[in-house]
Amino acid sequence: MSSNTTSESMARTLRWGVGLLLVVSLSIGAFLLLPFRSWLPGGTVGDVPLNQVVNGTAFNRLFPEPDDGDQLVFTQEKRGFSEARLKHGGQVKALLAISDVSTAPEARRKFETSQSRLQGWPLVEQGPQATALLVADRFQIKVIGQGDGLEAEQRQILIGRFNLRGLAALKSASAPRASLPSGPDSAGRQSLERRAAMEPAS
Amino acid sequence: MSSVLERLDRLPRRNLTVLAIKGLSTLVPGGWHNITSADDLISDVLGSSDPELIRQVRERADALSRARHEGYGRALSLYDAVNRSQKAAGGLRLLANIGGALPLVKRVADLTPTSETLQAADLSLKVAAEMLAFTQVNGLPGDSFGDFAAALGEYAGEARVRMAALICFDALLPLGDQALQRLDSLLGGVNKRDLHQLPAYAGMAKLLPGRGDGAHLTFLRRGVDQWLGWAGGFSSQLGLTGQKAVQALETTLGPWQGGFQQMATFLDAFTDTYQHTGVQAVARRLVERAAAEI
Repeated sequence: MSSNTTSESMARTLRWGVGLLLVVSLSIGAFLLLPFRSWLPGGTVGDVPLNQVVNGTAFNRLFPEPDDGDQLVFTQEKRGFSEARLKHGGQVKALLAISDVSTAPEARRKFETSQSRLQGWPLVEQGPQATALLVADRFQIKVIGQGDGLEAEQRQILIGRFNLRGLAALKSASAPRASLPSGPDSAGRQSLERRAAMEPAS
Repeated sequence: MSSVLERLDRLPRRNLTVLAIKGLSTLVPGGWHNITSADDLISDVLGSSDPELIRQVRERADALSRARHEGYGRALSLYDAVNRSQKAAGGLRLLANIGGALPLVKRVADLTPTSETLQAADLSLKVAAEMLAFTQVNGLPGDSFGDFAAALGEYAGEARVRMAALICFDALLPLGDQALQRLDSLLGGVNKRDLHQLPAYAGMAKLLPGRGDGAHLTFLRRGVDQWLGWAGGFSSQLGLTGQKAVQALETTLGPWQGGFQQMATFLDAFTDTYQHTGVQAVARRLVERAAAEI
């Protein structure tokens, strides 16, 4: 009699175990194989959600107008990135790019020690052919000389011809939706204050 | 899965594929440089050989190619799918060629798909893969259709040798010098069964826009139509013909006694032209982005 009950309870735990295993494996399988996959980490750069990154389309109109004889050809447009080539007579003179540094916080670091400024924003030279500008602590403009190369001065002039004011304005436009829609400035400050208030006191 | 730059580093420096592309590149002004080192590519784009900067670019490029949403990895898997299919089809046709001489395997020869329609369908899949890979890697650059067309032209110009290889190896050699003019009517004869005979189709079907084989066929024909305009101009500008392609290949591969079709079969079965140049093209765009983002 007693041996009968133990075997019965064993069978029950076995049933439960098998059932649980089935459920767990099914849900893992569903996560890996079904469209839920995009919810897993690793889908986006630096695991930053796509809606927190400014779309590259917004950057296109901020590129400088090419001079006569020059040509601006857009080559890449992704979330948080847009790149164009400045060409002269079929030769690529420079790569021009705007990127959202929210997916690349390490890119911000080089500007911390920068002394030079362009229209008030920090400017950094990276090697002999690249110049970078950080606008509104959020967007990086980069000009990289190609082919015969460009002088640092020429690159800085090119950077200055981007629509920097328009770029800085994108930051407030892309502020998190949690902020109240009572004007970009006050909303920004409010959400900052709120964030500060939410910081633990310890 | 290995990153784009790791795959670039692993590309062969000298093998049959490299020799075939080298040979063909004599027809294309500007030539071709076999880039197989990520560090060299980065310092070329950045105009600097500072190891610290190169390390930063590499790190960023790896992060970008790991992110599934960015499409760099997906573009490579497209090229891989097409390459696998090309090799499988090439191997079968090679077997059929040998089979013609051996009575035992003669039945294989009867079974192999050698028809021109299949060749045309194969080419259309490659063109479609090229376009899909372009949008995966570059997004939809610019604000207008004109911008997009310019971006596509820029990409194709950068990949001139790659496009010349596509035109010569997959159109002119197997289908004859009138291939580009005949392609549309050949594609008209492709039916769903033919499509399913192509191994690449199974791998690409879910990436092609539209639902069902019918929609995919329409997409392939439309894509090829777009490409034909550009490819026709390109090949007449360079004066590409099957004869010239074989002569160019002979400069590196040695004398060739067989016909054009056999040359095409041989190239299909033994070279990875499409994959090789594909990895290089994706890597360059990836590095250009990473260099701008560090």
